Amino acid sequence: MIRFILQRLVAAAVTIWIATIAVTILIHLVPGDPVRIMYGSFQTTPEELDAIRTRLGLDQPIWIQYLYYIERLFHGDLGRSIVGDQPVLDILLTRFPATLELTLASLAIAIVVGMSLGFYAAYKRGTWIDAGSMVLAIVGVSMPHFWLGLLLLFLFALKLNWLSVAGGDWKSLILPAMTLGLANAAVLARLTRSAMIDIFDQDFVRTARAKGLPKTLVLYRHALRSGLVPIVAMLGLQFAYLMGGAIVVENVFAWNGVGRLAIEAVFARDYPLIQGFILFFATVVAMASVVVDVAYAFLDPRIRYS
Amino acid sequence: MTAEATDIPAIEGPKQRGFLRALLTSPNGAIGLAIVALLVLAALTASWVAPYDPLRMAAGPRLQPPSLDHWMGTDDFGRDVLSRILYGARLTLQIGVIAVGISLTSGLLLGLVAGYASGWVERILMRLVDVLFSFTEIVIALSCLAIFGVGLTNAMIAIGIASIPFYARVTHSVVLVEKNKPYFEGAVSVGAGHLRLIFVHLLPNVVPTLIVVGTLGVSTAVLAAAGLSFLGLGAQPPQPEWGFMLSASRDLISRAPWMMIFPGLAIAITVLGFNLLGDGVREVLDPRQRER
Repeated sequence: MIRFILQRLVAAAVTIWIATIAVTILIHLVPGDPVRIMYGSFQTTPEELDAIRTRLGLDQPIWIQYLYYIERLFHGDLGRSIVGDQPVLDILLTRFPATLELTLASLAIAIVVGMSLGFYAAYKRGTWIDAGSMVLAIVGVSMPHFWLGLLLLFLFALKLNWLSVAGGDWKSLILPAMTLGLANAAVLARLTRSAMIDIFDQDFVRTARAKGLPKTLVLYRHALRSGLVPIVAMLGLQFAYLMGGAIVVENVFAWNGVGRLAIEAVFARDYPLIQGFILFFATVVAMASVVVDVAYAFLDPRIRYS
Repeated sequence: MTAEATDIPAIEGPKQRGFLRALLTSPNGAIGLAIVALLVLAALTASWVAPYDPLRMAAGPRLQPPSLDHWMGTDDFGRDVLSRILYGARLTLQIGVIAVGISLTSGLLLGLVAGYASGWVERILMRLVDVLFSFTEIVIALSCLAIFGVGLTNAMIAIGIASIPFYARVTHSVVLVEKNKPYFEGAVSVGAGHLRLIFVHLLPNVVPTLIVVGTLGVSTAVLAAAGLSFLGLGAQPPQPEWGFMLSASRDLISRAPWMMIFPGLAIAITVLGFNLLGDGVREVLDPRQRER
């Protein structure tokens, strides 16, 4: 098991390493002069621009820049944001808890709603309940996050006046988390249903039923447990999708996380902040996938020996 | 050549007439096809059907609720929402075709080469694809927009690039299956060249799977483009793009909910249409999926 965990950690490290290369190259792919684009809106003289170029190391060959970048990275230095002139890492760390809160709350909603719906649909396979759940799921998959968010906002905050989105307490988390969670619940419902249908057809379930075990015992002890395995494997990807979806949902609800920050950075062409965000995002997603893979290997021993 | 006929590929390409009939007998396929046909029709006939010029300000009074003159109401500039939605269908189709075109062709080539080459070429390419895949599409698209700058054309390209890893993965996995089939081994043993093996033997067997994935991919692309426009990174004023229209409705939700409801409905129905059509095509091409 330790060997397996180490392997997964190395894979995550490779992902993060490739991300460092990608963000270094990114600034060089910008057509024109990135320094002029970044500072174009400020009053700057050509001499000042040259000074900035030297400070950012952009006058060096790209591989030297990369080495500098890596060296600073090991000291926890992701550079300084252009707009606020603050350390990028500080900004990201201040805003990340809000995103994590939103992502985890949405994941919980997606799991509870999506898996129950998928499980029940598979159990009632071929009935109108199954058909109805799957219609609901495909509508959910097709629903844009941001539109669902606006609809929920309109209904619950403006018409019914039940929930507010201001305040920053747990109540203001409900609508954004529902928006992000329900959209992903639909994906999870479809996955769960097809995984469970596979399981229900298998011999061990039939045998368990045939030898007279109570239905609920077969369902929860036998079927659900094996059915969970492929679904847990998908959770890492789900987490990444939720983090990505958070970028949009945070903007709908003015939720102050890293997603909103990223969009602000793209608008402002704040490249150090954009680079920091991409690297940060890649790191979080890579670590989450290690956790999920280890959980997966725990549930299914075949994985760690293959 | 003859060996091909004896084997059944992963998803087999059926004859054309039977295909359409089969598609229409599947509820998913029929509804999906109807929605997509409607979208194409709207895009093609927008200039005749739309009651007003989509960009004309004060085509009616501002923020007018739906009425006989303006079926979907008017926006804060007095533009007719229905006309804007009809013209928006053109942009939506354009986005779908361009974005999927970019990702499908590049992903197809990448997947074919990686799967065919095997060895270190395959390992490096697929490792890179896996890493990019884990960045998620939205982050890749944002990075592209940070490079190119914002705008609808750039957003289409960004979305196209962002989905390349996905298509490369799908193609690669199909190629791995096909490579182990007798027809392919036969072709190798009679001494077919690399290009012939890739383009004459592998490609036709990868295409049916990619048709399914590509149809579903249009819905993802439309959703992503609307999302970027909603964030202000895609379509710019006064373009009648649905995501952008939604974004413009945000501050007016309580006063003019129709500005939010109709463009959102248009996006959701379009995405639903391509999702259903993709499911339908899959059922027809791979009957084992019908039970699912």
